[in-house]
Amino acid sequence: MTGRPGTFVWFLGHELRLSWRQFRGLFHNFSTSKTIAIILGVLVVFHALAWPLAHWFHAIETDGARHFYIPSLIAGYLFVLPWIIAQALTSSTRALYSRGDLDLLLASPLPARTIVTARALAISAESVGSVAIFLLPLVNMNILVGGRHWLSIYPTLIGCGLFGTAIGLCVTLVLFRLAGPRRTRFIAQVVSTLIGASFAIGVQLANILPGAWRDGLIEQIDRAEPGSWFDRSSLIFLPVRAAAGDWPAVGLWLCLSIAGFGLSASVLGGFFAQSALASAGLGAAAPAKPRWVPGHGRFRTGAARSLRRKEWRLLARDPWLISQVLLQILYVLPISIVLWRGQGPQASIGLAVAPFLVVVAAQLSASLAWLSLSGEDAPEFLRAAPLTRHQLERAKLEAIAVPVAGILAIPLAWLTLLAPLAGLWSLVFGAAAAACTALINLWHPMPGRRSDLMRRHSQSKFIGLLEHLMSLLWAVATGLALSASAWALLPIGLSMLLLWFNRQKIAAAASA
Amino acid sequence: MANGVAETVAGAGRSGSGALEVRRLCKSFGKAAVDHLDLRVEYGELYALLGPNGAGKTTTLRMIAGLLPADSGDIAICGINARLHPVAAKRLTAWLPDEPMLYDKLTPIEYLEFVAGLWDVNPLAARQSAHDLLQILDLFDQRHERCEGFSRGMKQKVALAGALIHDPRLLMLDEPLTGLDAAIARQVKDLLVERIRRGAAIILTTHILEVAERLADRIGIIQNGRLIAQGTAAELCADGDPGATLEDAFLRLTRSNGCAA
Repeated sequence: MTGRPGTFVWFLGHELRLSWRQFRGLFHNFSTSKTIAIILGVLVVFHALAWPLAHWFHAIETDGARHFYIPSLIAGYLFVLPWIIAQALTSSTRALYSRGDLDLLLASPLPARTIVTARALAISAESVGSVAIFLLPLVNMNILVGGRHWLSIYPTLIGCGLFGTAIGLCVTLVLFRLAGPRRTRFIAQVVSTLIGASFAIGVQLANILPGAWRDGLIEQIDRAEPGSWFDRSSLIFLPVRAAAGDWPAVGLWLCLSIAGFGLSASVLGGFFAQSALASAGLGAAAPAKPRWVPGHGRFRTGAARSLRRKEWRLLARDPWLISQVLLQILYVLPISIVLWRGQGPQASIGLAVAPFLVVVAAQLSASLAWLSLSGEDAPEFLRAAPLTRHQLERAKLEAIAVPVAGILAIPLAWLTLLAPLAGLWSLVFGAAAAACTALINLWHPMPGRRSDLMRRHSQSKFIGLLEHLMSLLWAVATGLALSASAWALLPIGLSMLLLWFNRQKIAAAASA
Repeated sequence: MANGVAETVAGAGRSGSGALEVRRLCKSFGKAAVDHLDLRVEYGELYALLGPNGAGKTTTLRMIAGLLPADSGDIAICGINARLHPVAAKRLTAWLPDEPMLYDKLTPIEYLEFVAGLWDVNPLAARQSAHDLLQILDLFDQRHERCEGFSRGMKQKVALAGALIHDPRLLMLDEPLTGLDAAIARQVKDLLVERIRRGAAIILTTHILEVAERLADRIGIIQNGRLIAQGTAAELCADGDPGATLEDAFLRLTRSNGCAA
């Protein structure tokens, strides 16, 4: 896409090129031909995986289980639209605060409306792309199996992309006006992460909900009365009707989403530019604090104490980071509930909760260790300080142990009250798992910016795998220990062996 | 402070050695970056290290600061062998890179508390020193604001305050005035001169020859990792045409040495 320089088409081409290069960055180690081959390979695998699902859909459409069909589409809609809104929220805030090129663009003779519309379209394309790679293989397989009406999902998805981006843009700007630049970034990041986390919980929803609730909900959706919550003739369900192959609904949904997108981009273009300029002063207008007088400072001796306090301060002052770290608990929670429900009426609370706590301890420790050791803002400054590397690392590991213990203290105490043995094993195995993942991060530093916490494993998939494997091994060991099985020694031994291999590898690298 | 380190630091500077003595220092990254370099900086002296881009200035400073291991050679800071006793040597030094190393989420006063803690400065002395430095550097009113909203110049001032809070005997500054406006540059220069008067030694790199000419007691010109000339600004200028400036001398020396190389 080229167009005459300075035109909307030309600028849209520029934005799409940037989006492609960002995506291409995920495969930075591979040539373009290899990247395309990988993408094609992934698509083939997804299509193959979608084949049995397509047959399942075909069966529920034709074999009298049609009451599952609309609830399944609603579930899909409830995933796709929030996902796109979350993507738009993140991208809009990034566009507002990552001022790398925004200063240049807003200082150029391009109208703000053109800039915002083109950028919003690129955001929309990115969002649709991120959903399409998972969704469209299923749609394609359904079309092949015989459901031509599934073709309607293509335009419906584009409509969802435009509509979701418009909502994301509006929400960002409303938040900006109501909460101010600093809070907007935080709220938008947390909301978008929560929406993302809803996937993890949502996929387990069918398992989490009691059977009677689940059946009742499906019944209500399938036999919705006019004017009820699930009345499919209402405007809210327009995209669902469109996805179900109702072509007039597809046309209406596309018209509505294009109008909504165009209106928000054209009306909000100027406001977006103003907000972007306002965010330039972010931080300069920090609230005034009480006057500081000599003698009232908090100067203390001790390098380790200073380091620990610095780590805690940096953590406490970055609510987004805290939310990211804590969200990991949210991701694990549904598995714990499923585990509990899976045991039937004689369910043991200890067996359901203890492995969960061990996994949380390991994951928290891994995240905090990465933040403290690899996400250090001033590594060179610390190396110039009069401390040995050992002293420095020890202080940092001490610093992360406190928040891990603090977060797990209450659930551990609760578990100990209910099931003392489970509490004890959780404490012992949780501490061991936390130590293991912290040590992996210590031995395999992956320097990066703190904001890259959730993308830290893109540097080394091996370390990510190792962290998860350690969590899993200790969780399995906890479960087996609670069942009084001697097999618990096997995952413990494996984990120790992995740790030993890593230590040997690091020692060999250091001596070389 | 560990006993060994305490003794080494307490004994620093007693033997009549200079604040910094570098002998036959070498570092290679495939190609020699620093090549048998000899340097000596006295207490109360500001030494400016000049050189074209890639001459080895920053590499030299990073080795002295203990951030980069030297391939060979000796580094003595206030009489302490910095390669054998890095922690003891670091206790007496401060390193300020060209890009300020700060924590955006900390306020200037918290940053100074942190640095004072790392260097184990007496809390009372650190508190007073922080107060004075923030006043001198015009940061007192912003002492409770987080550094994330500061301009580059303000960040550089906070980093400088951090470098000075433990009253180092040797300051190593890499391009300390680059990117600063005239007012901030003046504040920084005044503070450095004041530290020199108090007996500290400073070694700095700069591309601004006027700064070297006006501030430095001695200037060393480095090229391809080797010290090609050393002396006061007047001495360096005197070797060329009558009325030659430091810029003329610098260009003459680096060009002739470049041709010879």
